[in-house]
Amino acid sequence: MSNQFNVSKDTIEDTRFFDGFTKTMLAVLFLLLLIVFASGKYMSSHAMKGVGTDDKVNDLASVAARTQHHPFIELPGDAELGAFSVANFFCGMIVGYHWLKLFGTKSHNSAKKTVDD
Amino acid sequence: MHIEDGILSPLACGVLYGVTAAFVVPGISEIKRRIRENPLYKPFLAMVGVAVFVISAMHFPVPVTGSCSHPCGTALAAIIVGPFATVVISAIVLFFQAIFLGHGGITTIGANTVSMGIAGGFSGYLLWKFLRALRCPLWFAAGLAGLVGDLVTYLVAALELAIGLHGNIPLVKQWMIFFIGYAPTQLPLAVAEAVFTSAVLMAMLHRRPDLLSNILPKKERE
Repeated sequence: MSNQFNVSKDTIEDTRFFDGFTKTMLAVLFLLLLIVFASGKYMSSHAMKGVGTDDKVNDLASVAARTQHHPFIELPGDAELGAFSVANFFCGMIVGYHWLKLFGTKSHNSAKKTVDD
Repeated sequence: MHIEDGILSPLACGVLYGVTAAFVVPGISEIKRRIRENPLYKPFLAMVGVAVFVISAMHFPVPVTGSCSHPCGTALAAIIVGPFATVVISAIVLFFQAIFLGHGGITTIGANTVSMGIAGGFSGYLLWKFLRALRCPLWFAAGLAGLVGDLVTYLVAALELAIGLHGNIPLVKQWMIFFIGYAPTQLPLAVAEAVFTSAVLMAMLHRRPDLLSNILPKKERE
């Protein structure tokens, strides 16, 4: 059975769980999460609500306009988290797919080209 | 900068839709032309579009102000895929954010595209071009473009609100009132966007300089 991911034995043997790219991405991920968690901890300990500035300014504008602002769709509670997760999961897949096509290592691109030929 | 439905008047929404259309039409032509020149532009555009969707929906908490906001990513997009194509991307992104995530509104897609796609994208791109003409390093030009693109996006969003709602209050005063609602949280995020823009562009250039030949000087291409 052959498909475009079944590139060559050498490529499969070269594939490691923690190659340079994965390590860099994990390092960036943990750094960003650390910033988010530390900020969140500080904000909750100082009773800060952490609302979005978009919401704050929309509220301010509503007062000036004497109307009520509303999003096109209101996502209650955890549905918002769910929608973000689904959207970002598939976004990640699309970015990853094209990233590999465009910025994958030269050995990967040339191996893939050989198989495609 | 995601202005929701119900705030701007129908007239303001219509005018801002018109402004967006004036940029989207040449944007589609730019996309078609660049696809003819380089077939790899298509996946590139898809990747950048999806990245803008994620970046502009990613809320980061800023402990100094106690609120959250998001970067935009349109300055980076404008440098990579072109400023007019970025407007098309932004309009699509804002549509999907409105219908799937409840971010922004449908009547305000024009207003939000003007601030994020046109103002943010073009200001970042023009600054990038200017700094590169002065032979500034790539990382510095990209970083500053990211920072300015982010802040200009919010300045224009505040201006759109102020123009529509200032009433008897002087326009500039109302503009600054709205901008102050964004600015304290947005300033640190704009700095983060500068670092991000610079890092991503440098990583791409390091990996595939041939793909980004239009943004490299001839000497560096060779």
